[in-house]
Amino acid sequence: MEIALIGNPNTGKTSLFNNLTGSYEYVGNWSGVTVEKKVGVFKNNIGHLIDLPGVYTLNPLSKDEGVVTSFFLNESVDRLLNILDASQLERNLQLTLQLLEFEKPALIGLNMIDVANKRGIQIDAQKLSEVLGVPVVPVVARSGKGCEKLIDAISTKSMQPTKKNLVYYGIEVEEAITSLSGELSGKTNHSPRFLAIQYFEGNEYVKDYVKTIADPHKLTEITANLESKLQEQKTFKTLANYIYLKRKEIIEKIIVDVARKSDSIIPLSEKIDSIVTNRFLGMPIFLLLMYLMFMLTFDWLGTPLSDALDTLLTGPITSGFETVLTAINASDFIQALILNGLVAGVGGVLVFVPQIFILFFFISLLEDSGYMARVALVMDRIMESVGLNGKAFIPMMIGFGCNVPGIMAARTIEAPRERLLTILLTPLMSCSARLPVYALFVGAFFAGNKAFVVLSLYVLGIVVALILAKIFSSTILKSETSLFVIELPPYRLPQFQSLWRSTWDKAKGFVRKAGTFIFAGSVFIWLLSYVGPNGLNVDMDDSFLAAIGNVIAPILEPIGFGTWQAAASLITGFLAKEAIISTMNIIYFVPNDASLQGLLASYYTPLAAYSFMVFILLYIPCLATVATIYKETNSKKWTAFSMIYAFALAYILSLVIYQGGKLFGLV
Amino acid sequence: MFGSLKAGDKGKIIDISHVGHLVQRRLLDLGITEGSEVCVKCVMPFGGPIMIESCGQCVGIRRKEAVQIEVERI
Repeated sequence: MEIALIGNPNTGKTSLFNNLTGSYEYVGNWSGVTVEKKVGVFKNNIGHLIDLPGVYTLNPLSKDEGVVTSFFLNESVDRLLNILDASQLERNLQLTLQLLEFEKPALIGLNMIDVANKRGIQIDAQKLSEVLGVPVVPVVARSGKGCEKLIDAISTKSMQPTKKNLVYYGIEVEEAITSLSGELSGKTNHSPRFLAIQYFEGNEYVKDYVKTIADPHKLTEITANLESKLQEQKTFKTLANYIYLKRKEIIEKIIVDVARKSDSIIPLSEKIDSIVTNRFLGMPIFLLLMYLMFMLTFDWLGTPLSDALDTLLTGPITSGFETVLTAINASDFIQALILNGLVAGVGGVLVFVPQIFILFFFISLLEDSGYMARVALVMDRIMESVGLNGKAFIPMMIGFGCNVPGIMAARTIEAPRERLLTILLTPLMSCSARLPVYALFVGAFFAGNKAFVVLSLYVLGIVVALILAKIFSSTILKSETSLFVIELPPYRLPQFQSLWRSTWDKAKGFVRKAGTFIFAGSVFIWLLSYVGPNGLNVDMDDSFLAAIGNVIAPILEPIGFGTWQAAASLITGFLAKEAIISTMNIIYFVPNDASLQGLLASYYTPLAAYSFMVFILLYIPCLATVATIYKETNSKKWTAFSMIYAFALAYILSLVIYQGGKLFGLV
Repeated sequence: MFGSLKAGDKGKIIDISHVGHLVQRRLLDLGITEGSEVCVKCVMPFGGPIMIESCGQCVGIRRKEAVQIEVERI
């Protein structure tokens, strides 16, 4: 049995999905967290549950909404589970009425009753069920309350709607529906009435679908006929509006029947909003929060933890491995492979796990609390001036964690050009995999003001993105329409458990990559450094790795780090940014106490180190990001562009920084 | 006009037809249309967006669209 989960954005569909299937998918308190469909298996194995992006209607404006409409048209589903936000029943029911027209068995989960109660709204679920003709089960998706009942209802109750044609659209529209249905009947498995109504509403996906099975001329004729008939009515504007109003009439009647309103208290949300979106305080508060995040990640909390882990890894763990390897009489080759390759390569990346956890914890906090949408609001003015909109800031913030989900989050941006622009610029946001590189270099060269230097790189990424947005949007990506309407969800106190899960879910990707990708990469890199044209166990400068690096090194000379070591690590950095660190740990391997940080000082000047960090920040999106860009833009041209412009930009900026710095007498 | 409302003012939308089609659609999705009562929650500086509340739902829209919405003060 296939059951689809559908409802307005930010009504808790994914929370419910996680509770019903026992899996963990990405949740947050802003509209558009889920941008593609996800499939899970019910805990008691009664079937598959399909989580869909949130939509207000089945007539899509943006790409994530299109996912839902094409799902409805092209895939088979047995039952619909419609989640309603009890505190916003009126607009939620607009979607419900459309879903019921789809004429599939349906069930309603009434969520956020607590929020509604606080706002002084009481809803009679029993009554709602009677009026709509489908079962209604109250749930609290966040805590999982009511889920048992919901599963019960799904597996036992017959959900065939007991009422047909809930909305009567007036004689003119009904006649047109009948004649359009006549054109379609027998040619499709979907309800002809549903298709007809969506067609009249101007749903592009349905239009394309209907055109493939019926005569397009006939269809336009019916529509034109209907429109001219309705035009005689004074209040008529557009057909879509007319249909909307008919539904609204019914909804208002339903609301009178099922909801009772009493006096409400001023929600805490509005009090918080009067501060964080205050016209003068909004921006400073945002910057202060960012500053706190960086200080905690890089200075106050993250660095001590990482240092402790480093001491553990280079000390007891390395010597432990050594003892074991000697005890089992491992050959020199195996010893070198494990100690110089794996422990150095994988361990060098794992050291940064604490810092990455802290960063992801903050990003999760921003998402779960509801502050994310406010940031988009506060930033819109700046974003508008460079040809983007405030919503583009959300993918960028998520990009600080990892660029891949950041780029996917751009799907919620309605205007195609703004979305493309956001996709192209999100890789400039410094992701968590770049963080180890900074941490290593600032530790070696800028110990006095670590957080400040790192912050300067993050800010540089943002500033460059904004400048490029301006350039691109006024040249190659001229955008005629821009759309910015954003829902600001009520604040919710994040639950510790869900925060922890969402932090762990994001950070485990990093740990897993260290165990697989970096693990394999480390072995490979070490082998390349161990083997040379003249045989095994060569001096590293005569290895294959050095030979490859030496080809590229001259190009890097003008920007301050023309060594084969830097060149080789940049190549591996394309596969995954943190591979730069494992490569360096292998290349600059020093068996005894001297640390990599100390060693780096003899290869880089502080100026070259900064130039190197800027280069790492910008030079190329990693492999996974490139694949995502290709998937999202579906264009080889733009994918290639995203790599080439990034490289050119990185080179020019590093050149300016290094050569300019030298002119000013910096070293 | 929305433009003349300040933070804390309340109004009723009487004409939304001058606003761009897409924005109109999106506001309609959120249940904000002609006849809706709205309250201006805050106004961002330098011509930035404004935050309005309708039926307990807060929405951010741009100033340039807001001024095209005709409201009557209540």
